[in-house]
Amino acid sequence: MSTTELLDVHPSSRIHPAPQGFISKYVFSLDHKVIAVQYFITSGLFFVLAGLLAELLRVQLTQPHNTFLDSATFNEAFTVHGSSMVWLVTIPVLTGGFGNLIMPLQIGARDVAYPWLNMVSFWLFPPAGILLFGSFLLGAPQAGWTEYPPVSVLASPGTSMWCAAIFLIGISSTITGINFLVTIIKMRAPGMTWTRMPLFVWASAVTAFLNFIATANLSISLAVLFMQRVFHVPFYDPTRGGSPILWQHMFWFYSHPAVYIMILPAFGIISEVLPTMVRRPIFGYKAIAYSSVAIGLVSFMVWAHHMFTSGLAQWIQLPFMIMTMIVAIPTGVKVFSWVATLWGGRIRFTTPLLFALGFLSTFTFGGITGVFLASVPVDVHEHGTYFIVAHLHYVLFGGSIFGMFAGLYYWWPKMTGRMLNETLGKWHFWVMFVAFNATFLPMHWLGLLGMPRRVATYDPVFHGTNLFVSISAFVLGASMLIFAFNALRSARFGKPAGPNPWGGRTLEWMIPSPPPYYNFKELPVVVSGPYDYGKPLPYRNIDPAIMQLADAPAY
Amino acid sequence: MSKRPEEFRLDAGFWKVTGVLGIISALLMIGVAVFPIDSVLREASSVSTSIDFLFRFMAFFSVPIIVFVNGYIIYFAVRYRRRKDEPIASVGSPIHDHRALENTWMVVPTILMVVLGVLSYLAIPQYYLRGKDSAATLEAIGHTFYFEFRYPGLSHSVDEDLYLPVGVPVTIDLTSAEADEHLAVIHSFWVPEFRVKQDMIPGMIVPIHFTPTLIGKYDLICTEFCGVGHSEMRGHVLVVSRADFDAWYAGQQKSAAAKGARTIKLAAGNVSSGQAIFSQKCTACHNAAPFDQRKVGPGLENLFHDPAHPNLVDGKPANAADVAWILEHGFQGSMGAMPNQQANGLSSKDIADLIAYLQTLK
Repeated sequence: MSTTELLDVHPSSRIHPAPQGFISKYVFSLDHKVIAVQYFITSGLFFVLAGLLAELLRVQLTQPHNTFLDSATFNEAFTVHGSSMVWLVTIPVLTGGFGNLIMPLQIGARDVAYPWLNMVSFWLFPPAGILLFGSFLLGAPQAGWTEYPPVSVLASPGTSMWCAAIFLIGISSTITGINFLVTIIKMRAPGMTWTRMPLFVWASAVTAFLNFIATANLSISLAVLFMQRVFHVPFYDPTRGGSPILWQHMFWFYSHPAVYIMILPAFGIISEVLPTMVRRPIFGYKAIAYSSVAIGLVSFMVWAHHMFTSGLAQWIQLPFMIMTMIVAIPTGVKVFSWVATLWGGRIRFTTPLLFALGFLSTFTFGGITGVFLASVPVDVHEHGTYFIVAHLHYVLFGGSIFGMFAGLYYWWPKMTGRMLNETLGKWHFWVMFVAFNATFLPMHWLGLLGMPRRVATYDPVFHGTNLFVSISAFVLGASMLIFAFNALRSARFGKPAGPNPWGGRTLEWMIPSPPPYYNFKELPVVVSGPYDYGKPLPYRNIDPAIMQLADAPAY
Repeated sequence: MSKRPEEFRLDAGFWKVTGVLGIISALLMIGVAVFPIDSVLREASSVSTSIDFLFRFMAFFSVPIIVFVNGYIIYFAVRYRRRKDEPIASVGSPIHDHRALENTWMVVPTILMVVLGVLSYLAIPQYYLRGKDSAATLEAIGHTFYFEFRYPGLSHSVDEDLYLPVGVPVTIDLTSAEADEHLAVIHSFWVPEFRVKQDMIPGMIVPIHFTPTLIGKYDLICTEFCGVGHSEMRGHVLVVSRADFDAWYAGQQKSAAAKGARTIKLAAGNVSSGQAIFSQKCTACHNAAPFDQRKVGPGLENLFHDPAHPNLVDGKPANAADVAWILEHGFQGSMGAMPNQQANGLSSKDIADLIAYLQTLK
């Protein structure tokens, strides 16, 4: 088949008419880029709210026996903080935001496979957030983001709203999962074989698979919890033949893959930012791509490592310990490959690069403490303590959120057409990086010495450390103001970005910023992988004037 | 095969930095190897030493990974930064991969994981299996929000303080229960100095096994979120000499005979102390009078026996367990807010007493 024929039969060969009117352009939009911005704005709002809840928790913990929040309010605050950071911020931003914004552009598609489903998927999200935060009116859920029964069965009516909220998010994730899977499998530009895909697309593909397979399980668990709460069906009630441990299995069968749903896209972002800013091919492309697949598959076989103190039989703990330790190997491959990418580069110290390096440093630490938690005997001591709080924040904040900011600074010009201020960006990074470590590093120590998690007060011997942690957390929160100011400022004063300010070589940089609604005037044809710096670009059907910019980065 | 440009070989600078990172790692590893964990958190049971060994093993091998990853990030970032005089579009090394290097960083972590897995496996049975050598099997029961302990041969249970004789292997059967079984939640039994933790799960009995090795008083901490009183759910473990333990045990047996067995059943509340607590803590909002004689809340005279009001304010039937639930959790209703157990400063015993008293009113 000739190239022209290939283009004719391609699923996105036609350009649909442009949307007309405010509603179809900006509200019920079918355009993946607009939907991505909708995700960013909505999640950004919940990020602020959930972050403020975290600050309230840290105010309470500035001293033991503090009366700033009563015990019930404190429990509500950490539950909603955790739930919204996971389901209203990290997952929607990485999948709904970056996945929507970048993945279709990087595979050279005009949109996702099912634009209408994509819109539905987004519009399930704001109601979920309203339900979750609205639960404060009825008494918010109190049992932590994991909502273990029986506490979650006995707790206030708001817990049923929590079930409904997370159920909606779950449905949204499942829809997005299958939508993205089909998109990546069917809609790649002609010539883009699997091993020519950018690494963010690899990460998105595995994430979409996890979203599609694992999230259905979350929906079932939530429906069951809801049924027990409202109709008293005793799934988790040991007095009537159920078991509270059943929830833990069902919840973690989703929520462990969910950890990778929250980190794989960040891996993808780092794998894009590094080669562009280092200006050399990513080291070990195939190792990074296939290790994502390995992590995705193994992630289904490790869930019970969250349950080593739940009375599991010893023989069943062993396979979970072994599988968990296996995860360390592909993860190590990625980290070492990224470090090796830095070697021999021409590194430009832009804000996205700083966040990527920050990610490398903090995520490595979080990954290593993960191995500590895999070993059954050591986990027995650390489980349910501040060591876990520290570990999960190193992975989800030091990993996902640093990755998220790397991606935001990197693709902001593509999304908005304007640059963020680099000086402010660097201030943001350094304040955030130092404050992050000052906040979460001491928590390991607290946990090992005997401070349990989810407590509104603590042994007075931990006062000094907790005060230090709280002050650092306030600085960490304040660092976000620098970003907010920078983002607002860019609307007015940001320099016009042009199609390719960083000199990137993936397809999203081969079209104007912000991209037109049809993305590519002509579908591109891909003849090779994207990261061969110094060689001619592997694309046909791209405007030569834009192609030249890949060799003339502005920053 | 084209020759690599000279500048992309590993140069003397790289090996110098590698050496420095190696020395830093070695020093930190020595620090980890000799760090006196015991002086920071006492190793007070037979399993603490093996768990600390594993922790030290992992920390020991984590140090070089952290030092080399961070060290190389900083070194490469500085060494390979784009210089001011280089064109902005200049590109770096074209090297894509290096099979031997990639194999190394797969094989070395794999070996470490295998060793760690075997060591962990060997440490597990020490505390999970019911000890064949156990001198005694005790029971520990989690309640909202305190711990109850039962000893063989004692007809009553002991709250808050767990006495154990030093050097005697013990098995503790853990579970969770409430007077109303539907209200039982998951707790966890953690003594940091013992490095022992196990959830207390309603409907399940899970044994843990260890030998306390050091006389002292240790905190017993609930580490599984169990509700509004979770933050304050603490007990103590008192590890005492064999002679002291025997004396304590004999004293318990005697006082049991004197007091009569005390159970945690709500029915066992004390009416007169319940009356005292009522007048002290409840009369601000409730009269001991018929339902309609309200203050903030209704009169409680016929709480358990009022055909006109068979249900409580939360719609549950007016039985002892549901009254206890409201006392524990408080209530937010149209008439006002009733504080929970913590805010009211009620112990579980106080609640049992109050209910015993309220049941006498009619």
